[in-house]
Amino acid sequence: MPLKRVCAALLLTAALIAGAAPAAGAGLVPYDTYNYDYWDFIVFTPAAYVPGRSVSGVDLGIGAFQNFQGMCVADDGAVYIADTGNNRIVILEPDLLSVRDVVDSFSWPDGSADGFARPHGVAAADGLMYVADTDNRRVVVLDGRAAVRVIRNPSSELLDANFDFVPLKVAVDYAGRVFVIARNMFQGIMTFDADDNFIGFYGTINVKITLWQRFWRVFSTKEERARQQLFIPTEFTGLDVDPWGFVYASNMDSEGVQAVRRLNPSGEDVIRTGENQNLGGDIELFAASASVYSGPSKIIDVAYRGQGIYSLLDSQRGRIFTYDHEGNLLYIFGGMGHQAGTFRQPTAIGAQENRILALDAFRNEIITFEETRYGALINQAVALRYGGDEALAVEAWREVLLLNENLELANAGIGKAYLTAGDNRTAMRYLKLGMDKSHYAIAFKRYRNEVLKENIGWMLTLLLAAVVAYAGWRSYRRRKRGRAPAGGLL
Amino acid sequence: MGKYFTRERVGYMFGVLTRPLHSFYEIRHRDQGSVPLAALCVFLLSAAFTLNRIFAGFIVNDVNPRTVDGLEEMGAIFLILGLFCVGNWSVTCLMDGEGRLRDIVTVTGYAMLPAALLLGPATLLSLVIAEGETAFYAIVMGAGIAWTVILLLTGVMTVHNYTLLKTLVTLGLTFVAMLILVFIGLLILDLINQAYVFLYSIYTELIFRI
Repeated sequence: MPLKRVCAALLLTAALIAGAAPAAGAGLVPYDTYNYDYWDFIVFTPAAYVPGRSVSGVDLGIGAFQNFQGMCVADDGAVYIADTGNNRIVILEPDLLSVRDVVDSFSWPDGSADGFARPHGVAAADGLMYVADTDNRRVVVLDGRAAVRVIRNPSSELLDANFDFVPLKVAVDYAGRVFVIARNMFQGIMTFDADDNFIGFYGTINVKITLWQRFWRVFSTKEERARQQLFIPTEFTGLDVDPWGFVYASNMDSEGVQAVRRLNPSGEDVIRTGENQNLGGDIELFAASASVYSGPSKIIDVAYRGQGIYSLLDSQRGRIFTYDHEGNLLYIFGGMGHQAGTFRQPTAIGAQENRILALDAFRNEIITFEETRYGALINQAVALRYGGDEALAVEAWREVLLLNENLELANAGIGKAYLTAGDNRTAMRYLKLGMDKSHYAIAFKRYRNEVLKENIGWMLTLLLAAVVAYAGWRSYRRRKRGRAPAGGLL
Repeated sequence: MGKYFTRERVGYMFGVLTRPLHSFYEIRHRDQGSVPLAALCVFLLSAAFTLNRIFAGFIVNDVNPRTVDGLEEMGAIFLILGLFCVGNWSVTCLMDGEGRLRDIVTVTGYAMLPAALLLGPATLLSLVIAEGETAFYAIVMGAGIAWTVILLLTGVMTVHNYTLLKTLVTLGLTFVAMLILVFIGLLILDLINQAYVFLYSIYTELIFRI
């Protein structure tokens, strides 16, 4: 008997271990990968991106990076890094294995040599390199190692006479317009035309004053008001430009609602938000105590990745949030920590073909994330839909569903395709799983009409029969009552 | 038990729907009301409410089914209506109201009947409507609620023999009384909790020393 029990216990333990083994697969990445559902609940998902390599300056043979702040990926995939602490710009080959160039000095047209002082931002376009040369208070445009343009001391009636121009981030569109985020410039992104003249501010974020704050301002004296915190808009933190000249600009939103803007050429925000009206990274922000796990995400950089997809980098919890052109949150990955593939102090994000790069200024390493099958399928489906090819997108969504049944976006995508194809009943099933109420309503209406059309014959017949039967019954009763009127109680 | 569910009493319960003034008068003065029937009405309401939250059509239903707990909702409805009855009773006692607590409970319960009866059909209707037709659903729901409010108003007015203005003032005061009741209730709960913690700490202290 005891032997039997021991055997049973061993078997049970073995079964438990065997059962637990596949679950351990979820722990292969050193961070949480999740998404939010229709009700803003966290739903864990497969990893869309897994950690690739950590590339340090020592590995590349150019000495350790120091506190680098800016990154840009050129059209050919070359990676430009503003190595702030070393006063240089490092250009890496797309494979991140070899160095194309290290620019630590350049020459002016008159032949004199010059260098950078703590450059924070860099942009590359049309073979030119735009450097936000922060401590020299200028933006330098280089062709190779020759300066071709320079933006310094912008003057305008919009600016204070003693305005101190400290550029932090720089971006440039196809027309040569230069966008600059400057320190303590709350009025917006500064724009400069191709002749280096200051045009104006761009994409100003309006200050939000709550009714409660306004109420207290009414009751405070002038002295009190002078000592109160100023109501100033949040600063922009990062920039990227898409091929059509739309500027993606990230900012820190203290309410966690909108941390990125898509600005059209006249500076209006034309970004689209998804079902939950949120573009602020994490949604449920209220932890029991004030830890790093409470409070809104601090989005410090944005990377446009093509096909309407863009990714945001959160410096609070080291997460990378990816949205599509409709504002749907596609996937979340990344985290703080000490393992390979996690951040200590993330500063900038960039995107190559199927790889996401991020800078960690504490480790002084470039951390790469490689696309998984799950991430690739989502990217592919979103790209197909962006191109208007919903029918092909369905195939990709189906494969996504095999990997993650809970993805509402995939269900809704399939449902919409069925709706277009005319299979309303199946469309209803998928749209309900995808929590897409507006399209479900359309599918439901069509399905209801179909059912009515098929069944209207016997339904009307039944109705007619009922009416005839009722009339007959009434006349029968009347005749009966007429025959014996005295006995009628009813 | 049978005397609470006589044919006549049930008749007056449904009579409330069509002839509220007359029926409420009979309930008050000819003792035709029944507290168990009133409780049944409230039970029906809570059941219809929960069923509506779970089964209303996908297009009109914005409730996460995972957050619906029927027992909890029933408890909440009974608690709120009970609070209303006690609050109304304590206010009307001071304001020359003629109704007894039993009448107030009966009237409050009966007044829930239209909402309880219309929520079911509204739920069924929501299963066959598409977007753009949600107004029909809203009308049915709104009609049930409006009818219930009117019944509650006339009921309170009739059993206390009040004018309409006085009824409205009383209902406002009832709301205040409910808040006070909740406040006192919380105070008592906290007091009991503190007393319990005090006694329990004495007990632990003793246990450690023995």
